[in-house]
Amino acid sequence: MSFDADLIIVGGGLSGLSAGITAVKEGLNVILLERGEYSGAKNVSGGRMYVHALLKLIPDALERAPLERPITKETFEFYCDNKKKLTISFEEKEKKNSYTVLRAKFDRWLASEAESLGLLISYSTLVLNVYRENGGITLETNRGVLKTPLVIDASGVTSIVFRSLGLRRFTPDKWMLGVKEIVKTDLNLPEDEGEVRTIVGLIKGVKGGGFVYTNKDTLSVGMAVTFDSLPKSEFPAKDLVEGFRERLGIEGEILEYSAHAIPYFGYKNLQQLYAENLIAVGDSAGFLINDGFTIRGMDLAIGSGIIAGLAAKKIIEMKDFTKTNIYYDMLKESFVLKHLELAYSRFELLNKAYVLNTYPEVLCNLLSDMFTVTEERKTLIDDALLRLKEKGISLSQALRDILSVAK
Amino acid sequence: MIPLLKRLGLNKYTVDQKPHIEVNTDICLTCKDKPCTVSCPAGTYEALPDGRIAVHYERCLECGGALVICPFNAIKFRFPEGGVSYNYG
Repeated sequence: MSFDADLIIVGGGLSGLSAGITAVKEGLNVILLERGEYSGAKNVSGGRMYVHALLKLIPDALERAPLERPITKETFEFYCDNKKKLTISFEEKEKKNSYTVLRAKFDRWLASEAESLGLLISYSTLVLNVYRENGGITLETNRGVLKTPLVIDASGVTSIVFRSLGLRRFTPDKWMLGVKEIVKTDLNLPEDEGEVRTIVGLIKGVKGGGFVYTNKDTLSVGMAVTFDSLPKSEFPAKDLVEGFRERLGIEGEILEYSAHAIPYFGYKNLQQLYAENLIAVGDSAGFLINDGFTIRGMDLAIGSGIIAGLAAKKIIEMKDFTKTNIYYDMLKESFVLKHLELAYSRFELLNKAYVLNTYPEVLCNLLSDMFTVTEERKTLIDDALLRLKEKGISLSQALRDILSVAK
Repeated sequence: MIPLLKRLGLNKYTVDQKPHIEVNTDICLTCKDKPCTVSCPAGTYEALPDGRIAVHYERCLECGGALVICPFNAIKFRFPEGGVSYNYG
């Protein structure tokens, strides 16, 4: 059986390109298929990248990559009702841990880096069907048929390769819808400063929240909510970002409107990550961390891509394409699965329908009571117990929830 | 509020000759809530007075939601050859 390449990667986003760069550096014969006219043409993300994994892939990336702004200020805003709002803000100047990015620019740059290292990228190439044949995998594309013994599925949350082979089962509660606008604005900020605002409770009915990220001269304004909560939303999905932006009072020329599904599995619900001849990376593997404080997908995409590239080398050297568990073993030793596991208790907490609505409301009411002086005054603990009871939450439940945040 | 079609018009589309979304509208007749009409960010699915669904596949933002939106598997979705592309993403 003759194959077209040692390895075919489906998808030219962060995970696919990271796998491709690593595999090419390892001397493998690789083809990457990207359905967009260029890398990034089909990608949508909120737009914040924690850069530790990128620096492992490209050590001088901070000097060369088209990053927008470093995030030096984090703000969390909880809207309790129309009249009460709780805000927590933290600033750390000169912090270079995470940056806002615009994926159409960033991925295009990363693809050019990969191509200069010798990665063959076939653009405008859409995978239509996938099946097993003669000990390998056959990919039918709009540009012809390709055969390979090893595939890295980096095709995003809809995982075309795994799905075609019957290895994915999707439910709406495990998927979030991300909607985003890019708004032109004059930012009165020094170049080395940027802010992320995370906003919860402004739009009622939905499970999830919104964000405002500062780019160089634009804002990324968007929301991420579970698909199954959308029918209960104040706004239909098509007007969600509009309603959100208008309530925030953000004005400016709208440059783009985009949407994307976001995997929301969590460590214990991850779908199959590997099979014979097959490895899943990034969104295709469902790698997303939301622990309430950080929302991460891009560093996990790059991290899993690097590991997949290294694992591919080992698997190809062994000439045993049933041994894709090598990838999983390496993943378990890496930050990717370790961080996903660590974040799971908080992830689970956020997944409980009441948490994002009820606790902020309890806290708002408590603070409101604290700042209201009348002749009637309860102790803080009595007031807290009363406010929790009003919401039908027992003290033991509240303590369990608080402890799961500390885990 | 900017109308949806104006917002969608900000993106670049290459519309395929053949729809990449197909809906079995007979199934839609039995669906009361029609979650596709509220859950699609591009207003791709429109409820018609006769209880069926009209599909505006040329509006699709390719979010992938169609793969989970319909509780009755009435929507067949594949990615288009052309479709939408983003400048910012």
